[in-house]
Amino acid sequence: MKAWLNFSPSIVNKRVIADLIKNYNINFNILKANITPKGGKMLIEINGKEAEEGIKFLEEAGIELQPITRVVKKDEDKCIDCGACVSLCPVTAIKIEEDWGVEVDDELCIGCGFCTYSCPMKAIKIIE
Amino acid sequence: MKTVEEINQKIKDGDVVVVTAAEMTQIVRESGAEEAAREVDVVTTGTFGAMCSSGAFLNFGHSDPPIKMAKTYLNGVEAYSGLAAVDAYIGAGQPNRNPDIGFNYGGAHVIEDLIRGKNIELSAESYGTDCYPLTEVKTEINIEKLNQAVMINPRNCYQNYAAATNSTKETLYTYMGTLLPNMGNVSYSSAGELSPLLNDPYFETIGLGTRIFLCGSQGYVIGEGTQHDTSVERENGVPVGGAGTLMLKGNMKKMSPDYVRGATMPKYGSTLFVGLGIPIPILNEDMAKRTAISNEKIVCHIVDYGVARRNRPKIMKTNYKELRTGTIEINGVEVPTSPLSSYKKAAEIAGELKNWINKGEFYLTNPVKKLASKGFEVKPLETRKPSVLVKDIKVKPVITVHPTDEINAVAKKLVDNSVNHVPVVNSTGKLQGIVTSWDIANAVAKGKERLGEVMTRKVVVAHEDEPVDVVARRINKYEISGLPIVDNKNNVKGMITAEDISRLIYAKKGKNGGSL
Ligand code: SF4
Ligand code: SF4
Repeated sequence: MKAWLNFSPSIVNKRVIADLIKNYNINFNILKANITPKGGKMLIEINGKEAEEGIKFLEEAGIELQPITRVVKKDEDKCIDCGACVSLCPVTAIKIEEDWGVEVDDELCIGCGFCTYSCPMKAIKIIE
Repeated sequence: MKTVEEINQKIKDGDVVVVTAAEMTQIVRESGAEEAAREVDVVTTGTFGAMCSSGAFLNFGHSDPPIKMAKTYLNGVEAYSGLAAVDAYIGAGQPNRNPDIGFNYGGAHVIEDLIRGKNIELSAESYGTDCYPLTEVKTEINIEKLNQAVMINPRNCYQNYAAATNSTKETLYTYMGTLLPNMGNVSYSSAGELSPLLNDPYFETIGLGTRIFLCGSQGYVIGEGTQHDTSVERENGVPVGGAGTLMLKGNMKKMSPDYVRGATMPKYGSTLFVGLGIPIPILNEDMAKRTAISNEKIVCHIVDYGVARRNRPKIMKTNYKELRTGTIEINGVEVPTSPLSSYKKAAEIAGELKNWINKGEFYLTNPVKKLASKGFEVKPLETRKPSVLVKDIKVKPVITVHPTDEINAVAKKLVDNSVNHVPVVNSTGKLQGIVTSWDIANAVAKGKERLGEVMTRKVVVAHEDEPVDVVARRINKYEISGLPIVDNKNNVKGMITAEDISRLIYAKKGKNGGSL
């Protein structure tokens, strides 16, 4: 699953993420991070055998976890299925379907923002 | 042999046989051209792509007292009004006069909003005449209020078009979309086998007066488009590059926003996605054969947009079947492709046109004059002075340093030669990096000793055989003050600075009597 982790200023200096990776059998990916001494947010992907235990550990450590299902949203009224975005996606999350429509796969998307900037219709938005 | 009149009679009688170009390809493959020519009366084509060379004539009607509009703006986008008093032409690529909005709402967006029936702010200025005393007008218009809103597109519907890639190390933002560095992607724009002019490649049925599907309404071809070119090399009977183009006319009051959209190519400009479809009458077996063209048989080149010249280098040849798979192999690497024009919409348009004909709402036309299929070649614009190349300008003899040099020695060199940056080269003179006086000051402050520790390794360079104007754009883009000149073996030949370039531009303008 993908989730935003909210770091309060009091835990920014603690070694939570390192311990999480060291002590639990999980696949862990940091997709985005913006953390300053005043706190911040990190977008992560967490899977694997002990994902649930790992999440519990995070919550006990005081990190608020907001699971998300969507990273980007494509406005179907704005999108003209031109396909300009397709080749820009670094994780091939954007595909041309059987009917030549263009679809974004949220499971794969890492929210890099490349497609959002280059779409001529400004049809894709990153959900914060 | 059939005639357009016979086909129109069939439309009237309700027994016309219409198929789309994609369907025709199948039919001919299965039953042959002879049989297909007997069975099929009309093949419909379609395309939905970014066509910058589009725009519209608008007539606003007269105010009281009247005004001779000299400068005209629609939602902040200038429409050219050097015509009679209240006529204006809004071009798709015109940016907004507010630089903060710029390309994000340009002429193409005004056109879309007009077609959507939205209200648009009109503001016009004038110098005032005896017959047109008003000097300023501000009001709201919409398409209903306009006397005429006529789309006239000087160049639409390129017959074919080269695909684009980018060999440089930087992302490029072009009218072919975003091109990733190191040939990271390829973008192509033609609708391939559905594309109108690839289905009648010798213009045997298309010309002045041909009725077409234009943005959801019935429009017309009014002649060859600008840059119409009949000299392009052909393969399988169809041109491998740009070639033929169309000039089109349509009534915006009848158009639908489903088939025409304002868009923005990032860092390039605003542009209009135009939906158009042309019916091809199958008059004989030859036309059946030509409309059976498949993506596989339509060839185009992939060209390198990393070279900002008129003639961009060709990387390789490909075809639309390959491009449509989503990846293509360039020098052994799989590269993703992007279509840039909507195949989904193109198919929808071909389908919609087919419906119209089947329902007896659309009749075919014999062109008054066919499009030229020979004798048209695109001439380049000769500039009064040929563009100056980097190697033509005088630059100071090159001073270089080595990565192993001591900081103090480099500092002395900078001061002795009164320069601000020096290229760093290896023992054979090949470029390794660059160092500026600021880097040196920084190194001294931090107590670094060797140049290798402080030089910048990623260097923006100028090539000897590039025009100076291309280098000037690069200097601006990266906000740098100078860059090393290298030959094609990466040997450093000199330095070119922003000053060198402004001196050159000053000399040019000065001689021509211009001012800066
Ligand atoms: S670039 Fe934009 S308009 Fe084109 S297919 Fe992608 S999301 Fe849709
Ligand atoms: S945001 Fe990035 S990862 Fe997500 S779909 Fe767009 S290009 Fe792909």
